[in-house]
Amino acid sequence: MSRPRQQRTPEAVTDRTTGRRIDLYATQTANRRASWALFLAMAGLLAAVGWLLAQAFDPAGAGLFVGVALLVAGVHAAVALAYSDKIALAAAGARKATRDEHRYLVNVSEAVALGAGVPTPRVFVIDDPSPNAFATGRNPQNAAIAFTTGLLEILDRQELEGVVAHELAHVRNYDVRFLSLLAATVGALLVVRDLVMRWAFFGRRRSVGGGGGGGGNAQAKAVAAVALIVLLIVAPLLGTLLRLAVGRKREYLADATAAHITRNPEGLARALEKLRDWRGEPLKVSEGVRHMFFVNPNLKANAAGWFSTHPPIDDRIDRLRRM
Amino acid sequence: MGLWIFLGVLALLVVGVVAIYNKIVTLENRFQNAWSQIDVQLKRRADLVPNLVETVKGYAAHESGVFEEVARSRQAMMNAKNPDEGAEAANMMSQALGKLFAVSEAYPDLKANENFKLLQEELSSVENKIAYARQFYNDAVLQFNNAIETVPGVFLAGPMGKKEHVFLEIPDSDRETPQVAFGS
Repeated sequence: MSRPRQQRTPEAVTDRTTGRRIDLYATQTANRRASWALFLAMAGLLAAVGWLLAQAFDPAGAGLFVGVALLVAGVHAAVALAYSDKIALAAAGARKATRDEHRYLVNVSEAVALGAGVPTPRVFVIDDPSPNAFATGRNPQNAAIAFTTGLLEILDRQELEGVVAHELAHVRNYDVRFLSLLAATVGALLVVRDLVMRWAFFGRRRSVGGGGGGGGNAQAKAVAAVALIVLLIVAPLLGTLLRLAVGRKREYLADATAAHITRNPEGLARALEKLRDWRGEPLKVSEGVRHMFFVNPNLKANAAGWFSTHPPIDDRIDRLRRM
Repeated sequence: MGLWIFLGVLALLVVGVVAIYNKIVTLENRFQNAWSQIDVQLKRRADLVPNLVETVKGYAAHESGVFEEVARSRQAMMNAKNPDEGAEAANMMSQALGKLFAVSEAYPDLKANENFKLLQEELSSVENKIAYARQFYNDAVLQFNNAIETVPGVFLAGPMGKKEHVFLEIPDSDRETPQVAFGS
């Protein structure tokens, strides 16, 4: 028996570090709910920004400002979801894996997808010697997983199964959708912040110079303007920190799910060890997509810290070995 | 007032029943779909077998015992009338194929044959897919059984005519590397 396959506790795994049981099927629902909550929070935040803007500049046009803010939120989220996979795959320079060229990878992916109970994802390869992988797509039906050629070279079948299972865990848990939405939230806030800054520095000066100030309560306007600026500086920062914290938690969860799918935590642990010990040119990808990779492409950054996108590799290996 | 409370409770009850009903049906569909996934892989394996036997015969024609065993298991799969017979035939085929690959170890020319290598990779990956599909089936059955045996699902399972399903026994030999016995 090469691996224990008849373990009869499939809905949950115990995280021995925290002693808590993680319900694997519940996370999907929780993630979907969290995605909606996040979207509503983003819409609310942008509506608040719109309202504050209106108070600071033109209280009569509050409806218009809020309407525009909500429109920005909706369009931004829709675009982020619809194009998340294409943008990610293009940014990483991935090309479709064909059965003839990458028969082994395609077969392993199909097998693990059967075990995870998700539709067979589209499989891509990235021509790069640095070992890494990522998953993208807004739902399991539109999922794509990509692997560097360097990863395929150094991993054996069980290790590769572990990595594929980790990526499919992100897919099945709707992590990709959640993180795309979160990134879109921060993005939308940054766009609004830049617009407001421009108005504040140029638009306002012009209106003051023109001698027009439509009366109203100047003090209330000033308070609204200050609140607006604080909100617009603090919110994106909080959003980024939330994204990183949630992302790190989801890496652990995806590792646990992968161990459950393959019934073989050791395969994934060995794969992580090989990636940790690999020395060479790091994968060249932009800052914006680093968080989605299996391990941080900037290998030196795989350490603990508030601003790290990934949990430390040693910690991940440790947790897998104790499962 | 009393009427409104009564109607409110009734509405909640209806919503609850619908939710549980849908959950049970969803879980049942999930494991039935999982079952058909196993079937797809078993058929695919059976389709690969004649091709493999032809290739091996080209190098090891006199190993007729193994060929007969493979052919018998394939025949048994074709004739299987119920899932139990099908599962038994599938296990037979796993063992027969294991022996066939063990025998081919002794023929270096065969092992170097491109077509043979391709078939070997395809068959071992089909075996792997079968194992994963069975595992997911068992997961899905467990979820279904849990849903109909625990509160509140247990109250609806009877009226819906849902019964506990059995797990697939996964033969240990399935994933073992065949041992080659020389001599005797």
